[in-house]
Amino acid sequence: MIPLPFFLKATMRPAGIVAIRALPQSKMRIALRYVPPTTLIGAIAYPLLHIAGDRSETVYEEKTFRSSAGGVLELFDWVTVKTLGKPRIQGALLKINTIYRGNVQSAVTSFPFAVTYGTNDILITAVYLINEEALGRSSYTRKDIERAAWGITRLGSRESVVSVEDVETGRAEVAEAEMAKTAYAFPFNGVEVKGKGTLQSVVDWRSGIGDYSKAGRMVMFYPEESVEVRGRLRTIKVGEEVVVLAQ
Amino acid sequence: MFLSVGVRFEANVEALNMVETAGNYSKHRRVPYLVEEDGKLKTVYVPALSGENLAHAYQEHLAREALSLNLPVCDDCRRGEFYKSMNRVHLEKKVSPIPGEPAKIEEAIVKACVVEDVGGFLYAENPPVRRSSAFQVSYALPVKSMALFATSEPQLHARHAQMDSSSKKGNASEQMIYYVEIGTALYGFTFNLDLDAIGVSAITSEPILDENEIKARRDAAVKALFRMLSSAQFGAKLSRFFPVGGIKEVAVAVTEHPFVVTSPIYDDYILKTERRLKVLKDFGEDYLFTAATEDRVPEEALKETVEYLKQKGAL
Repeated sequence: MIPLPFFLKATMRPAGIVAIRALPQSKMRIALRYVPPTTLIGAIAYPLLHIAGDRSETVYEEKTFRSSAGGVLELFDWVTVKTLGKPRIQGALLKINTIYRGNVQSAVTSFPFAVTYGTNDILITAVYLINEEALGRSSYTRKDIERAAWGITRLGSRESVVSVEDVETGRAEVAEAEMAKTAYAFPFNGVEVKGKGTLQSVVDWRSGIGDYSKAGRMVMFYPEESVEVRGRLRTIKVGEEVVVLAQ
Repeated sequence: MFLSVGVRFEANVEALNMVETAGNYSKHRRVPYLVEEDGKLKTVYVPALSGENLAHAYQEHLAREALSLNLPVCDDCRRGEFYKSMNRVHLEKKVSPIPGEPAKIEEAIVKACVVEDVGGFLYAENPPVRRSSAFQVSYALPVKSMALFATSEPQLHARHAQMDSSSKKGNASEQMIYYVEIGTALYGFTFNLDLDAIGVSAITSEPILDENEIKARRDAAVKALFRMLSSAQFGAKLSRFFPVGGIKEVAVAVTEHPFVVTSPIYDDYILKTERRLKVLKDFGEDYLFTAATEDRVPEEALKETVEYLKQKGAL
């Protein structure tokens, strides 16, 4: 009998804005509308490392610099997110003073972000599928990961503060299907989708996180409410909801 | 220990966060408030304060508190210019010659400046060294239930110039009119402070300073926040646009590991936070939750927080 994987579902309330930069940075700082998997890993890595008493952020290996979040990457088999509501990208033009080659000069820039602030509450729910084999090898327990989920403080940059309103845990049922209905983001690869949503190119977190200049990317479909997906699907059932996994 | 504070403050006729000038018009920072009607989205622009704005004010208070406790603050941060050792020119003021190893660079900066220890820095040279801020601040946004009553309004001002009778007509303007956009709202924001990050390396995880100095720096970090709230000294143009109003509510959670209070932009934030904190008992974790609403002034809740931190040995 195949053991059912352990999952964590963390429901978050943003404090109004979520600022996530699409890297690598260009002069125009593009913001992402929806939360990419790398940000979800970083978000839980911070409280998880805190619990272990590990304060490191950057790991230096000669000339290679990596994020310490990479150290907890193998604990997750899959991460994805559901966004209830439609954030809007906003970025006012700002005049700033910069120092260029010793001279102060004026420039115009903008710092766009996704606005989650309005009459309707926008809720962000992250699902983490835990690799229990890796968890067994690590110094962490299932309880630690659950506590870490309650301790997510922000998504993306420093102003993107969130509060975790609920954490659900359980065993996920893995299945193969030709059709699934899901509200969670999934890789847009060899599938047909019926319903509204947004395609977003994100860093493929499975190849490592921290240095995104040469990182592989994947296209994710972020549904607006629930969509119907058709294809050769691998799915998991987390509580009453369905998550479509990568092939 | 991790401190998370939710703050609600009333600010009427304020110019706390100006963003750009177009000619003689100074604009207040505004953000869209999304209104959904029949599945269609429309936006209403409401006044806001960026987290950067609040973070700047906090770091100015931090510099002052640190100096009053005889803790080191670098020259740039003393002046309120938070370059944060961004390049060789700024770092050489603290350490010369600059060490080659990232951990040594971080150590030199942390030892030399409390603001960069608590507020983080990015040394963008080779090797790059990054230290994330130990504190996080959300935007201050009008509380949701009253967001549609929040207003931004341009106020006309005139600056008069003395007439110069000898000059030709048109050389000297008699007066110059200009507009300052003011905001009025009941704002809410969240402030988090990770006390365990202070004085500890973000590369090696080892303490950079001795325990007494770490405690003193934590003390300065907490005092700076409480002074900022108690004195309402944050934001711009306070000399002419000091807002009418003040702190209305404060909710503080102190936990062993990260935990964030529900944002005060939601009306149920105190109740929700209190309920969520009870979950931490299942993890065997102690916590403090204190709030100041109508019958209690914010200073009482802040004092209780300091006492709890002292009792826990964090300060």
